[in-house]
Amino acid sequence: MDLLVDSFSSALLLLKSFNAEVLAIVGVSLKVSSASTVVASVIGIPAGFWIAFEEFRGKRITITILNTLLALPTVVVGLFVYAFITRRGIFGPLDLLYTKTAMVIGQVILILPIVATFTISAINRIDERYRKSAMTLGANRVQTAVVILREARFGIMSAVIAAFGRVIAEVGVSMMLGGNAKGFTRTMTTAMALEYDKGEFVLAVALGIILLTISFTVNLFLNYFQGRARA
Amino acid sequence: MLFEVKDLTKVYGSRTVLDIPELCIEKGKVYGLLGPNGSGKTTLLEILGFLSRPTTGLIVYNAKKVHFLEVHLQEARKEVVMVGQQPILFTTSVYKNVEFGLKVRKVPRARRERVVHEVLDLVGMRDYVDARAHKLSGGETQRVAIARALACSPQAILFDEPTANVDVENQIIIERILKDINSEKGISVIFATHDRIQATRLSDRMLFLFQGKPASSIYENLFSGSVGTDEDGKTYCLIHDKLKLNVRTHKTGDVKISIEPRMIKVFQLEDQPGGEQTLAGQVMQLTDEGGDVRALIDIGIPISVLLGRNAYKQTPILTGQRVAVVCPPESVEIM
Repeated sequence: MDLLVDSFSSALLLLKSFNAEVLAIVGVSLKVSSASTVVASVIGIPAGFWIAFEEFRGKRITITILNTLLALPTVVVGLFVYAFITRRGIFGPLDLLYTKTAMVIGQVILILPIVATFTISAINRIDERYRKSAMTLGANRVQTAVVILREARFGIMSAVIAAFGRVIAEVGVSMMLGGNAKGFTRTMTTAMALEYDKGEFVLAVALGIILLTISFTVNLFLNYFQGRARA
Repeated sequence: MLFEVKDLTKVYGSRTVLDIPELCIEKGKVYGLLGPNGSGKTTLLEILGFLSRPTTGLIVYNAKKVHFLEVHLQEARKEVVMVGQQPILFTTSVYKNVEFGLKVRKVPRARRERVVHEVLDLVGMRDYVDARAHKLSGGETQRVAIARALACSPQAILFDEPTANVDVENQIIIERILKDINSEKGISVIFATHDRIQATRLSDRMLFLFQGKPASSIYENLFSGSVGTDEDGKTYCLIHDKLKLNVRTHKTGDVKISIEPRMIKVFQLEDQPGGEQTLAGQVMQLTDEGGDVRALIDIGIPISVLLGRNAYKQTPILTGQRVAVVCPPESVEIM
């Protein structure tokens, strides 16, 4: 118990001092997670919208597969991407392993199903009458789609925020593809894992506090948007 | 002609919900589309509004054959707008809602603003121009939805039960708007309703739908019953296990019957003619219907009776009064 209390008070002091190492780690975490979320949203929102909006063969199985991928373990993604970008892999010459780009690739794969499935359910929740209203007022397919997207905006925001919450807290992909290189690819979670291995808890607890604060803020937003989406 | 329809059917699975051999709708008129719930009114309106494709059949709109391809339908929808039974407004301001149709038609901003105010004026909602659309009541929502349709300057507006979900005050306002749209703007109006009195009051022409098919008039006093023969060899129909009506039919077993309200006769108790087809009843409700009087009479089941002006003068009945009712066999149609 003393260990926790001591670590906690030292951690608070560390945070108060705006330690450069802490700031660098948090910076990498935020940068990588934001980049993955943006890329996954740019692909996942239109894809989810299309799956929800169109009738096509294999629609149900597509949704089932996406739902299965929600439970994708980070180490599986790590392993999978590693196989492609390792020196012996087909993308080996690009020299991506242990870079932020590699982390972003892995994280995008991890959260794409989240963005897509949340978008699908957000679109499906939208009353059919919105589509008919837009159509009868003369809207073409694109204009009708924009109306539905706008009505689903809060649900889609939830998708984006949930995805960000997932990547900021994940450790497997960051560790396996980023390599936890200090100042380059060390994120909050990989740093915490390392500090734990070293038996030093102060930095780990300090980062834990920041991570929890970020998660809490993210969830506040998520809660807000989900509330608006249901209203 | 606004619409000419030939051999139109709409089939869902194995159910034919619409089967119209022929239908013509003239320009510039108000049509009341009358029928009970589930008679295919909404389905017909959605097809005429180019929102749904018929399974088979030919539709000619404005002397041009309609091709049910998305590109053509999009163009056609710019001239015919439908206002649904429970219209939904986009979650934004009233102004933006009404502006929507003008924006997709690429109307310049200054003109958009003028039109939005003009149509909101017409439906008496100008004060709500900046209001959030989702804060409005049912009747107000219906009126803004009408304004939103009007802003598109369509050739025709199709209304699906425009007053089904609004209070009496809004009902009166909406009925007036419907009339004004037609008389002042010359827009053709087709509205679905199951309210015969409303249809009579508002429309130039009436169309009747029953079980997806056009009917010569609306079937009223619809009941389920079973046909049998008594000891004297007379054919009767037993309704709800309590009411026996003499009928003329060769059918037996379970049937649906309709009793024509104009052919039912009502007498004061002391003047009753006697005979088996005379039933005792109590007047529940009296309403004026364009000079005639419609009486709702409880004879074990509620039946609707339409009395001509003269017939009512001869037998002035009052609500609550006990009366004798005669349903002659020819007033009962077995379907």
